Amino acid sequence: MLEIRNLVCRYGKVTALKGISLKVERGQMVALVGANGAGKSTTLRAISGLVPAAGGQILFDGEDITRASPARILGKGIAHCPEGRRVFGQMSVAENLEMGCFLRSDGKGIAADMAHIFEQFPRLAERRRQIAGTLSGGEQQMLAIGRAMMSRPKLILFDEPSLGLAPNIVEQVFEIIQTIRAAGTTVLMVEQNAYAALEMCDYAYLLETGTMALEGTGQALIEDPHVHEAYLGGGLSH
Amino acid sequence: MDQLLQHLANALIMGGTYALLGIGLTLIFGIMRVVNFTHGELYALGAYMMYFVANMLGLNFFLAIGFAIFAGLVLGALIELILLRPKRTADIDTTMLLMIGAWIVLQNVETLTWGSVAKSIPSPLPTEPLVIGPVSLSWLRLLVLGLALALIAATYALINRTKLGKAMRATFQDSGTAALMGVNINLVYTMTFALGSSLAAAAGALLGPVFVVTPTMGDLASLKAFAIVILGGLGSISGATIGGFILAFVEELGAGYISSGYRDAMGFIIIILVLLFRPTGLFARVERIG
Repeated sequence: MLEIRNLVCRYGKVTALKGISLKVERGQMVALVGANGAGKSTTLRAISGLVPAAGGQILFDGEDITRASPARILGKGIAHCPEGRRVFGQMSVAENLEMGCFLRSDGKGIAADMAHIFEQFPRLAERRRQIAGTLSGGEQQMLAIGRAMMSRPKLILFDEPSLGLAPNIVEQVFEIIQTIRAAGTTVLMVEQNAYAALEMCDYAYLLETGTMALEGTGQALIEDPHVHEAYLGGGLSH
Repeated sequence: MDQLLQHLANALIMGGTYALLGIGLTLIFGIMRVVNFTHGELYALGAYMMYFVANMLGLNFFLAIGFAIFAGLVLGALIELILLRPKRTADIDTTMLLMIGAWIVLQNVETLTWGSVAKSIPSPLPTEPLVIGPVSLSWLRLLVLGLALALIAATYALINRTKLGKAMRATFQDSGTAALMGVNINLVYTMTFALGSSLAAAAGALLGPVFVVTPTMGDLASLKAFAIVILGGLGSISGATIGGFILAFVEELGAGYISSGYRDAMGFIIIILVLLFRPTGLFARVERIG
C-alpha cells in the first residue's frame, strides 16, 4: 500500500534521513521505533508532504506522491495524527472535527462520521461545544485521533500517540488504535514506548540516526538482543 | 456637556473606519506574520479609486465604493503573489524590508499618476446636517459609519461562518496542522492579504470624501493602523475593532480638550503608553505555548 524507497530528508545542512526504505501492506499495523532524533517523525512528515524529500521516492497504491502537496496526499487517503496532539486550541471540539474533514463535501457522510466518533468517544460528545484548549491531555489525544479519522483515511499515521499521557489513558489510546485497525484502516505508528508498539504491530522497523537498522515482525524485534539491550531496558524481563 | 456629546458622536463615526483599518492590518499580521507597511497605500488606493470612478468617470458614488474595495482586493492579491509568496520561508525582517520598499514604490506611483495636488470628492448626500439636540452630524459621516459597521460585520461573518474563515483561523493557530487537514496554506495567505488590503481600501474610499485625497495620506493611515493593532494586541480581530474606537475617542477628546494640534499625536502617545505598560496589547490572549 505504502512504499518508501531510499528516502533522504534534510533540514538545512543536517541530514535527518539518509536513504531509508520501508513498506506497509494493506490492513497491517506497522511500527517505527527508535531513539529521539532518529528520524521517526521526519519520516511521517515526509509521507504527509510537510517535509520535502531531498531524494528517493514515496509510493502510495503504486502512485508517486513524493512531491505532492499535503492536501493532495490527504485526499489520496493518508491522514496524519501529529505528535503532541496539535488540536486547534481556540476552536470547539466540533470545529476541530470539522477541520478533519476539510476536504470532504458530502454533508450526510460527514454527519454520520461525526456521530460515529461521538459514539466512540462519549467524552467528546459531552464537550462538543467546549474550546479544545481546555480539554485534558487524554481528551485532546482522543480529539486528535477523531479528527484524523474524519477524513475517512485508508492509511493513518500516528506520531507518538502516547506521549505525555497518564498510563491508564495510554492503554485506552492503544485500544482505540487497535479498534481503528480492526475496522480496516491500515496503521503506521511512531512510538517511543517501544515495547507496547512492538507487541501490537505486525511488522516493525528500527531507525537509528537516519538509517534503517533493523526490520522484522514485532516479536522478532522484541527478541533481538540489540533491541532488547538498547530500547527495551536491557536485562529487565517483560 | 453639549460639546462633549458632539465630540463623542464625531469619535464614534471615525472609530468605524479606524476599526476597518486595524482589522485589515491585524489579520495580515496574525495569520502571515508579515508587518504590512503597504497598508496605508492600499488606503490611499481606495480613496483614489473613489475619486477616479465617482469624479472622473462620473459614475454612482456607491458603485465607486464597491470598485475601490475590489481594487484593494486585486492589488493585495498581487502584492502577496509577487512579493511575499517567493519569500514565504524568509524571516520577518526580510518581509518587513520588502514591504517598506513596496510602500515607497506605491506612494511614488500614486504621485506620478494623480499628481501631488490634493483632490476632493463631492458627496452626493444633502449638505444640510442632521441636528439632534446639541449634536450636529453630516449625512455623509453617518453613511460612512453605517457602511464601516456593515463591512466589519461582514468580515466577522466571513471569519466565523465560512469555510475560508475556518481555514484562516486554523492557519492562524497552527499552520502546519492546518496543512495536514488539507488546507491550502498558500491560498489562505493570498486571500488573507487580499482581504486585509480590501479593508484598508474600503476605509480610504469611505474617508476620501470626508477629507481630501493626497498621495501621502497613506502614511498617517499606516501609523494609525499600527497604533490600533498594538493597542488591541497583535493578531486580535476583536482587539483591533475596539482599538479603532478607542483611538478615535482619544484623538477626538485630546483634540477637543487638550489641543487640536495634538490630534494625530494621540495615536503615538497611545503606542508608547501601551508598549510601556502592557506590551501584549489591552486585549491579547495569553500566547499559546508549544
